[in-house]
Amino acid sequence: MRYVKLSSENFSEFFESLKEIGKIYGPVKHNSTYTFEHVDNVKDLALKYRRTILPPKKFFVKPRDQLFRLKQNTWEEVKDVEKFVLFGVHSCDIHGLKILDRVYLQDPIDPYYKARRDNAFIVGISCMPDEYCFCKSLGTDFAMDGFDLFLHELPDGWLVRVGSIKGHEIVWENQELFDEVTDEDLKNFKEFEEKRAKAFKREINREGLADILDLAFNSPVWKKYSEKCLGCGNCTLVCPTCRCYEVCDNWTRAYEAVRERRYDSCFMPTHGLVAGGHNFRPTRLDRFRHRYYCKSYFDPSAGFNCVGCGRCDEFCPARIEHVKVLEEIREGLI
Amino acid sequence: MNPYESYEAKIIEIRELTSREKLFTLRFTDRELESTFTFKPGQFVIVDLRGYGEFPISLCSPPTRKPIQLCIRRVGRLTRLIHKFDEGDSIGIRGPYGNGFPLEKMEGSNLILVAGGLGMAPLRSVLWYAIDTGKFERIYLFYGTKSYEDILFRDEIIYLLKHGEKLNCHVKLAYEVETPSCIYLEKGFSEKVCKGVVTDLFRGEEFNVENSYALICGPPVMYKFVIKELLDRGLSPGRIYMTLERRMKCGIGKCGHCVVGTSVSMKYICKDGPVFTYWDALSTRGLI
Ligand SMILES: Cc1cc2nc3c(=O)[nH]c(=O)nc-3n(C[C@H](O)[C@H](O)[C@H](O)COP(=O)(O)OP(=O)(O)OC[C@H]3O[C@@H](n4cnc5c(N)ncnc54)[C@H](O)[C@@H]3O)c2cc1C
Ligand code: SF4
Ligand code: SF4
Ligand code: FES
Repeated sequence: MRYVKLSSENFSEFFESLKEIGKIYGPVKHNSTYTFEHVDNVKDLALKYRRTILPPKKFFVKPRDQLFRLKQNTWEEVKDVEKFVLFGVHSCDIHGLKILDRVYLQDPIDPYYKARRDNAFIVGISCMPDEYCFCKSLGTDFAMDGFDLFLHELPDGWLVRVGSIKGHEIVWENQELFDEVTDEDLKNFKEFEEKRAKAFKREINREGLADILDLAFNSPVWKKYSEKCLGCGNCTLVCPTCRCYEVCDNWTRAYEAVRERRYDSCFMPTHGLVAGGHNFRPTRLDRFRHRYYCKSYFDPSAGFNCVGCGRCDEFCPARIEHVKVLEEIREGLI
Repeated sequence: MNPYESYEAKIIEIRELTSREKLFTLRFTDRELESTFTFKPGQFVIVDLRGYGEFPISLCSPPTRKPIQLCIRRVGRLTRLIHKFDEGDSIGIRGPYGNGFPLEKMEGSNLILVAGGLGMAPLRSVLWYAIDTGKFERIYLFYGTKSYEDILFRDEIIYLLKHGEKLNCHVKLAYEVETPSCIYLEKGFSEKVCKGVVTDLFRGEEFNVENSYALICGPPVMYKFVIKELLDRGLSPGRIYMTLERRMKCGIGKCGHCVVGTSVSMKYICKDGPVFTYWDALSTRGLI
């Protein structure tokens, strides 16, 4: 990996230089929450944000997404060609995108997702955990790939890791903005990382977790929490790795229709319905448990389907805590 | 190539099988596709009613015969709509999807096909494939139906009740609702037709479990009972194949709708299945 330094003075010029690539989207503050939005002025960026409501998946798997338009009874593919920059993506969210990649870039490749991945320039940013974060215990607190540039906070600027050819090109074309990394910078980088590692308040014990959960299929803990759960599906909407979608055709005019996909959630009773009205997950308990299994599915080649971003906890109206549920399941197993 | 895009196919024939099921015979508009399109029994396609939606349907004709056929039961919005289509109308088809039955592996063995209701649709593909290729020792078909009126492919079933043995094919039928037609049928084939459920058809049947494979398709409640029957007779779980159904939106492992299982084993019915063995059912919760 190549490391360079971006000083605080050059930051806004660096930001401006990214506009060459395309529209820049970054974290913006709204009262007490943050969202990724189009940012034109560097001052609008909220770089010390904790987490956005919707993760960056919304740029790749859109909440509503047109796939085809019907013209003269044949489908015409809707193409997305806009190049864009996602500025200030946290490590956990980069890992979240990598989990989505495994689904959408696996054969057969999803062309909509692929085009947006190719068109995106990703600038990661270091962060400090809050009371909800548990990415460290899942190994997703640091991104080794999946970004073009990654900015690590230093007292007087940023240590920049260059993660791709596209990243190299930007640094190359704007050489005057970057300096070599000094020993002092490395010391500061190390100190920041150590301070960050100590700041985590929540952790998940992943030792044998997948097996323990599987064994605890009939645990009363599922029942207890599924009775608290409102079945609203918030936790799935905000999760960077949830990606269930529904497809709908809609007529826009007498002879024109669009095929659209939208976020769906396994908390919706219709999710498990098949012909004849049979439902494979008929109760709230079935659906609640299924989400935990899906998020805690352990893929031997890639790990869990949860990156520990803490969104499901922060945005759960019933105040159900992901880690707590898992811990209680573990404890409940004799 | 966009994997979600369907190919145009013309409905060249529509046959009413029962009051709820119709058989659609299709030909792809693209000639090259029409001649190259191939699949394995047990695979399915996604039918695209452009402007209205998509739904998965098993291929019900054997790969040894052209053109392809789909047997569609009218149950809801889209299936009701396609039942209103006429011969000559066009629809979209994408696929084939799923793993299908590993029939190459079963060559030389007995095939025990156990069908319940609409489960006859995918198994008809296996049945005629096995008869056409002649590569199997003996074919058993145990078919459970509600009533005489609900028998899918009634002409074919009656033909096989009469002449099946010549084709190495032993067909038996169980019906639940007694009507004069059923009683008449039972009189004609007293050894092969009875009142009851599909598991009743196993009574008195002997097969060499070392050299047999069971292939099951039917309503969700049927699996447990049929599997028990087969296990009791000593068939190994690895020789019991079943095809399953889940709500499907993409058919290719993206939309997440058909995912089942737990933290140690998650499966996509659409691409890891829809055909699974009983071993899979034992290692993946929620499969059956
Ligand atoms: C692998 C597979 C093979 C199948 N093979 C056959 C077959 O050979 N013959 C046959 O008649 N039926 C088959 N089905 C069931 C068939 O897909 C449903 O009957 C059909 O989707 C119902 O659509 P609908 O709009 O009429 O029903 P509605 O109840 O109005 O359904 C509304 C929506 O739910 C979806 N939906 C409902 N049930 C199912 C379901 N079981 N699977 C997926 N989506 C569903 C539909 O896509 C539709 O958009 C199969 C299903 C699967 C998964
Ligand atoms: S399950 Fe919760 S903590 Fe884990 S990735 Fe999803 S939203 Fe984040
Ligand atoms: S956000 Fe909370 S209340 Fe809503 S479905 Fe998820 S666990 Fe249940
Ligand atoms: S049908 Fe979409 S994932 Fe299986």
